[in-house]
Amino acid sequence: MSNFIFQALNGLSSAMFLWLVAAGLTVAFGVCGILNVAHGSLYMMGAYFAFTSFQILGLNFWLSLVFALIGAGIIGFLMERFFLRRIYDQPIEFQLILTFAFILVFDNLTKMIWGTMLIIPTMPSLFQGTIPIVGRPFPIYNLFIIFAGIAVALIIWVILNKTWWGMKLRAAASQREMANAIGINIPMLFTAAFVFAALLAAIGGALSTPIRVCDSGVGGAVIIQAFVVTVIGGLGSLKGAFVGALIIGVIGALCTLYVPFIELFVLYLIMAVVLIIRPQGLFGGER
Amino acid sequence: MKKMTGILGIALFLVFILTPAVNAAELPKVIKIGGQGVTSGSKADYGHQMIMGAQMAVEEINNSGGILGSKVEMKFMDSEIKAAVATKNARYLVKDWGAHFLFGIDSSGVSMALAPIMPELDRILIICHGATHKVNEEAIFKKGLRNTFRISVPTYQDGTLPAMIFKDRPEIKRIASLAAAYSYGYSAWEMFEKTLKKYRPDVEVVGKAEAPFLHMDFTPQLNALMAAKPDLILATPWGGEGLMMLRQAILLGLFEQPWFKVWFQCMGGSIDMAEGLTPDVKAGKFHGKLWATARYLWNWPDTPRNKAFVAKFREKFGRFPNYSAANVHTAIYAFKKAVEQTKSLDTQKLIKALEGMKVQAPDGERWIRPEDHQACYTVPAGHYVYDRAVCPNAYLSDLVVIPWEKYYRNPPDYKLP
Repeated sequence: MSNFIFQALNGLSSAMFLWLVAAGLTVAFGVCGILNVAHGSLYMMGAYFAFTSFQILGLNFWLSLVFALIGAGIIGFLMERFFLRRIYDQPIEFQLILTFAFILVFDNLTKMIWGTMLIIPTMPSLFQGTIPIVGRPFPIYNLFIIFAGIAVALIIWVILNKTWWGMKLRAAASQREMANAIGINIPMLFTAAFVFAALLAAIGGALSTPIRVCDSGVGGAVIIQAFVVTVIGGLGSLKGAFVGALIIGVIGALCTLYVPFIELFVLYLIMAVVLIIRPQGLFGGER
Repeated sequence: MKKMTGILGIALFLVFILTPAVNAAELPKVIKIGGQGVTSGSKADYGHQMIMGAQMAVEEINNSGGILGSKVEMKFMDSEIKAAVATKNARYLVKDWGAHFLFGIDSSGVSMALAPIMPELDRILIICHGATHKVNEEAIFKKGLRNTFRISVPTYQDGTLPAMIFKDRPEIKRIASLAAAYSYGYSAWEMFEKTLKKYRPDVEVVGKAEAPFLHMDFTPQLNALMAAKPDLILATPWGGEGLMMLRQAILLGLFEQPWFKVWFQCMGGSIDMAEGLTPDVKAGKFHGKLWATARYLWNWPDTPRNKAFVAKFREKFGRFPNYSAANVHTAIYAFKKAVEQTKSLDTQKLIKALEGMKVQAPDGERWIRPEDHQACYTVPAGHYVYDRAVCPNAYLSDLVVIPWEKYYRNPPDYKLP
């Protein structure tokens, strides 16, 4: 039983990274209607910005997170304002081509700026070490990730449900024309929503640096998993993204423990079953 | 009659002498050699080290008069460790750029994809890193794809060698695998398990986990293995993935567990890993339990030839040479030797020259086995230590040297040694 609990906790920390990326993907699609396949690149940029500020500029861990958010926020703003805004009314193929082009641009940009070698950031001293859980050492940082992921989920919930801006966002997501008619500045709202989505990706990337590496190809790997999460949870549903991330993270970890050689098979089987039984995803349609 | 025979003999002798000279004269002014390896992503250092090794060899050769007077020109491409990209690169290098010889290749899958197209391209490929035994045992020996050679050690190094080392450690009874989920990882583990069990029937496999290519989060796999409390884990994920995995293992406190004795990181002796592991080795986080091998080690053997190679490499590039650099360097010299022997760029003649060739590598002589085109040489294994007086990076020490004859599988049956 202790193995089960311990592994589930590990899965939970993995799930939180997935959640942060999938949440941004969901916001961009749910509000702006943009299927941003370059969302993983924003995660990657967040990781590189955090590394640069923490390791090179010598900022502390928390300031490096802020630095990563500012950097990714600016990129998100530029992407939406000067590129994506022009194709909102175009078929989805245009979005896919444009955002795929962004993947190539960002991958090569990181190679030009940070080089092609992988970068290995160090663990902040604040989070070094383990604490015993069910008699086994559990990394403090992984525990922090679990709390951070849940905190972000709560913050998103509060923003969307308890603030005036969140109400406007939900209004624009469900009835764009009607929201526009009642005086909501839709272009500005879309820009803000896309920047918010970029921030979510960036915080995931920035938080990943102490235990993973910065690498120009990491965005592609992340986005595949994020799409699996959103397909299971329902594209456009934040609740679905959270539950989907938990399913992929925790079940994936438990499969590694009990049926290690069919872990990926099980995860994709879950996705296939969801697609067959409920093609819109578990929470598809809910915003 | 005797006079006629004598004249004929002299004529034949002259033809014999002059023919090579004619062929040498037919060599182009520039001999083009095309390399490819991974130069982007988490394993990029392997390709960059290949470039460094190739640059060094090309400069040395050109500064000493080229190959029979022909200058050597090198072009290197990023294979991205993708079979499709590597195949496209190989075709470009030969058909468009005009390469006379190909070298490099980091992965087993890419090696297996290129071997079948080399006869069509009518060029020789010398693999310098990709390790699957299927290249030499199946593609070359059984299928007869004889344009491909390998100058680096195969998976015998990753599976059989550690088994030969740890069979003599009676306290190691519970073993587990953390495999890269593709040919290389599976082969290495299979060889390790079979060989160890052959000598030590009391050994028990208590855990198996695997991770796909370019995996990032190994904590579920590590936790699953830790639950089984193995004495030894044999791990095959390499490069950046290997570093992430070891970092996550430290975070989980694996190396602090009293029951855990050895982590064998198959290609962990590579320079990118040594550099990345240095802070943790220095801080004693592995407790002397991290073992590794490689496909060449800069600190073995302690010979003037190897020392000179390392010193020159460091002076030129400011880093220690990885095995991918040393192997590419050796591959280019093997090609040079073959051209000098045959005085030709004819692929079939070069193949014959390379079969059974003994070529000098920085770490000594390598014999290219004629049956399966596999270079035979010894690389030791050791455990990681840090000593600034020896090296600014962590390095493998207390090296265990087992001659290659004891751990290589051999044709025709490729039975375990």
